Amino acid sequence: MKKIAQALLVVVGCTWLFTSCTKDPVSNLTTEESRIYITDHDSTVNFSNYNTYSISDSIAVIDNGNSKHESSAVGSAYIAAVKKYMNQAGFTLVSKSDHPDLGVDVTHIINTSTGVITYGDYWDNYGGYWDPYYWGYPDYSYYVPYGYSIYQVKEGALSIDILDLKNASENNNINMIWTGLIRGSGILDAGVADSQVKALFDQSPYLKK
Amino acid sequence: MKKIKIIFAALLVLMFYSAKTDAQSQPLQFQLNYNYSFPTGNFKNDLVNENSPRGFMGSLMYPFSPNWSAGLAYGFQDYYQKYPRTLYHLTKTQDISAVLTNSLQTTPIMVKAKFSPSTNSFLKPYLSLAAGANLVEYKQYYGEFGSSQSNFGFRVQGGLGLLVPFKKTSTSGINIGATYDYAPYHHIGLTKLNSVNVQGGIQVQLR
Repeated sequence: MKKIAQALLVVVGCTWLFTSCTKDPVSNLTTEESRIYITDHDSTVNFSNYNTYSISDSIAVIDNGNSKHESSAVGSAYIAAVKKYMNQAGFTLVSKSDHPDLGVDVTHIINTSTGVITYGDYWDNYGGYWDPYYWGYPDYSYYVPYGYSIYQVKEGALSIDILDLKNASENNNINMIWTGLIRGSGILDAGVADSQVKALFDQSPYLKK
Repeated sequence: MKKIKIIFAALLVLMFYSAKTDAQSQPLQFQLNYNYSFPTGNFKNDLVNENSPRGFMGSLMYPFSPNWSAGLAYGFQDYYQKYPRTLYHLTKTQDISAVLTNSLQTTPIMVKAKFSPSTNSFLKPYLSLAAGANLVEYKQYYGEFGSSQSNFGFRVQGGLGLLVPFKKTSTSGINIGATYDYAPYHHIGLTKLNSVNVQGGIQVQLR
């Protein structure tokens, strides 16, 4: 009986040893490998029908449902990168007063308190983070014709949204027509902003004039 | 599958009826093997194509006769595969660029029967058959963001091996062997988690 107990102890020991030797998927990733880039768009939109765009000079920071606009080195780096790749895609940067065809919002989403929020929740409150008044359509609502189907936000993410201002009057809404989302380790670093935005544009070949 | 279960049950019945009463004083045989696993078929092609060097198989067997023994087998194996960054099309409009990681652990708990045709020779070859439950824990990660699921499935294992005793009259010794494991798994688009395994370890008597 004692020997059987010893054998069982050996089996328990082996189980412990090998389960602790399992390869942990997260710790076996580099910082770059930890990041994911998700894009979605309105499939009915032809981006070549748009010429100009405008972008805010600050980013919205949504911290557990509370939002504020913030100017920071990281935010400025992301805005500069978005301008660079929008220009490379053939769109022309104009000021907001020049009636741009497209509006671009950059948003940093933080949720560190409780549970999980879905991107549906994020978009439900989009008007609270980016007042339609800013884009010159104070009585309009935002409309998102698509949604991330598999995705939930637990910590931080950076979202870039492109809005259809050209057809806002016709649609009676400010339609969101493209979204890019960056998640992972080390994304809030001005030094990596360019490569992160480039990744989103690279996987969206349809996003061009 | 049903045929395999019937054959296995018949084998166990045959073994019990052929057991000799004087064998009841025989000590239990405890075997512990390092296990190297090669995923095959659907498992290899669609989930993890890297072999796994992280596993073990153990068994506790009662020798009913000089030729036959039966008991329980238990093990653990960790499979892991990290795929390079790729663009995945999730829906008609939604794309995700990510490093995809599949991580899968199997924990079989089986009833096992072993037949050694040669009792007089120094080297003791054997055949084995085992069947039982297979606990599968599967995790899939896009970058550092993952999900997991656990399932129980069926597992049947056929094997052959060789025991090299420490002494001529001893049943303790060094074991080497190989098994083929058939494990149906109807989740995440897979149908089976079959594998070929090679093992090496020791067998000791527990008095």
